[in-house]
Amino acid sequence: MKLTTFAQNLNDLNLIKDQGLGEVILGHQNFSRFGKLDNDSLLSLAKRAKEMDLKVIFEWDILMTENTFMKLAADILPLLNSFDSLRVQDPGALEWGFKNTNKPLQFIAENGNHNLPGLQGWIDHVQGRMERIVLSIELPKNKIEEYCQRLNVPCELLGIGRILLFYTPRQLLSPLAEDKFSFNQEISAVGESEESPHKGFPIVENRHGTFMFHIKDFCLVDYAQELKGLGLGYFRVDLRFSEFSQLKEVKDLSENFTETSFEAFKEKYPQDLMRGFYLVNKTDVLFPKLKNHRLQNREGDYVGEVLEAEKGSHLAIFVSNTKGLRKSDKLKIVHPKGEVFELLIYSLRNLNLEEVDYIEPQKTAVIQYLGGVWVKSHVFYRN
Amino acid sequence: MSHIFPEVLAPAGSLDKLKVAVLYGANAVYVGGQKFGLRTAADNFTLDELREGVNFAHERGAQVYVVLNSFLHDKDLAELPNFVHFLSEIKVDAVIVSDLGVVKTVSSLSNIAIHISTQASTLNVEAAKLWKSMGATRVVVGRELSVKEAGKIKREAGIEVEMFIHGSMCMAYSGHCVISNFTQGRDSNRGGCAHSCRFEYSLDMGLDTEEKKKAFFMSSKDLEGLRILPEFINEGIDSLKIEGRMKSHLYAGTMSKIYTEALAYYREHGNFLSEDLLYWETELKKVSHRAYSNASLVEPAGADSIFNERENAEKEWQMVGTVVEASPSLGIVIEVRNAFNQGDELEIIPFKGPVISLLANEITDIMMKAVTRTRPSTLIKLPYVDGVESLQLVRQKVKA
Repeated sequence: MKLTTFAQNLNDLNLIKDQGLGEVILGHQNFSRFGKLDNDSLLSLAKRAKEMDLKVIFEWDILMTENTFMKLAADILPLLNSFDSLRVQDPGALEWGFKNTNKPLQFIAENGNHNLPGLQGWIDHVQGRMERIVLSIELPKNKIEEYCQRLNVPCELLGIGRILLFYTPRQLLSPLAEDKFSFNQEISAVGESEESPHKGFPIVENRHGTFMFHIKDFCLVDYAQELKGLGLGYFRVDLRFSEFSQLKEVKDLSENFTETSFEAFKEKYPQDLMRGFYLVNKTDVLFPKLKNHRLQNREGDYVGEVLEAEKGSHLAIFVSNTKGLRKSDKLKIVHPKGEVFELLIYSLRNLNLEEVDYIEPQKTAVIQYLGGVWVKSHVFYRN
Repeated sequence: MSHIFPEVLAPAGSLDKLKVAVLYGANAVYVGGQKFGLRTAADNFTLDELREGVNFAHERGAQVYVVLNSFLHDKDLAELPNFVHFLSEIKVDAVIVSDLGVVKTVSSLSNIAIHISTQASTLNVEAAKLWKSMGATRVVVGRELSVKEAGKIKREAGIEVEMFIHGSMCMAYSGHCVISNFTQGRDSNRGGCAHSCRFEYSLDMGLDTEEKKKAFFMSSKDLEGLRILPEFINEGIDSLKIEGRMKSHLYAGTMSKIYTEALAYYREHGNFLSEDLLYWETELKKVSHRAYSNASLVEPAGADSIFNERENAEKEWQMVGTVVEASPSLGIVIEVRNAFNQGDELEIIPFKGPVISLLANEITDIMMKAVTRTRPSTLIKLPYVDGVESLQLVRQKVKA
């Protein structure tokens, strides 16, 4: 397992070289969400990195609408000559890189992409040109292991860095900034809401839009050796929002982990840390509680729904099945709270209050009252 | 299939809403089964209801698209094949998908047309070309695109393009927001969105003042593109999508009717210089909504697209109920959702044409006993009025 990271200046690059890393990711201000380098500084840094025998990766993780895409895509080609690989997130950028360059491609599959056929599909699409795939930090370790073993390209995972929660192209902070910031100037804020249990979300607005991060940074430094054993190819160290000098400690910890060193590292690190869903992802377990499942069961012998329950008088049932309802049908009625009632129809009337033997589908049946049955109860044939 | 005129694609969170949307003119509806969609809390359709819904729509010339737009994990994907076989058997017209694994699964098991969901944030020609090469026949483009950009995607990628024209909007790039995942333990991209973007936040922006800024800074105004309809048509957009499977019958019906009528006017007259435009806009405003915005349909959304207000429960008009049955011999039977009084003025929205106003002077319950004030969750009868049919919607101006 190799470490990969970002450099924003020559000092970063020197530290990367000193720590024995083999590659660096560079972010151009027009193509990278948090890239700050213009053409000259990017090319200068790329050149220096090459001289240091580092592999140099061009990051294009901005999502671009068509007008911007067409305007900027052409600008990449002359820049790419100084790079070894192109790293993209937008499927459009992947397609463009595949068709218009001969560079090895790295695909950032961090949003969604939580299944093997999909991940393999991206790799297959670029016909041998996929050099690496960047996995989602929402994946638990058993899935990371499976993908590292079964995908035929190396996988990368964030090892330490901010957790991006929200990305919009809209400028959301500057309207609140009372003209204290100039156009396209980066604005930072910290947000909290009484409606959220978490306080202190870092928020950044820059020329590419607005980004909100988790209050804690993601950290699997203490699991680095385990990840190596799972077959992870690249462990990404993203210290762009903290202290880059901690790269050395991360490198040491990833190779020779001790609790004492890790505690010392955490003490110095500017944010609290979390491991996210690495051990388990249960973000679907609350779903059954989001709705009343007693009211979801409308399969099979479903007749319809009680529209009116007039105490001592009648029940009105809208017959929404395709069979209709007959006098002497036996019914099972399920109350919204789950209580089940049974009933034999002996009085069946239409809305004209005429006694009938049959109510056709999509009509309303008026039957005898049954205590305890409420409006919205579900009605089934009882067989 | 390309349309000379775009279809109106309405949301249908339940079988009732599907029927309402189709009867009010929608050319197509999108619906969700019990799994694989992004509206876990919605009623959604049982298998029987899906079958009935498809039959109902097809008999009236409308199409049904089924959402499979969760970002599925492997274990979810394993459950998908049976559902795909079922959808194929009942002849749904398309599925709406955001995950490549789902695209691969659907295309390997069926010939169902695949529409790429807005969750995939298709924003440019190259992305559309990629999805086309994967087997998609349509892309539902990201809401960050202008109509002109979407038109270019259609022409250059050679794929059908669907655009949102109305409804609530994610502020984030769709599919790129995981606030709920990490703060509420609910996967927003598998149907558990907790709408944290609608919260009020206190923001410390490092300004000189000690006071934090309080703002609903991540909340977007609702999209409304009625006046831009000619541009959608000129750009050849195939489908105009109305957001809102969780929204009311009144919403599904009103939106379907207004956008269908507006398109029909354009089709007949070749222009949009209609006195009806103000009427249509007024009708759209009668349905509960946040402040409207064009968002990015013309230019990239600016500061005026932020809905910096608390969600407003107050509304000018409310739904009174739905017509359950109506005939000259029976009268009009209404399932009451919100109470009204004897003497109140009600509006019944017919499937086509102007609203029917009536005074509720003679109200009875279904046992023919006189009623002076109706109650929610009851059935009442009014004297018959020509043109009223079952499933039509009844509304009332909310009293000050």
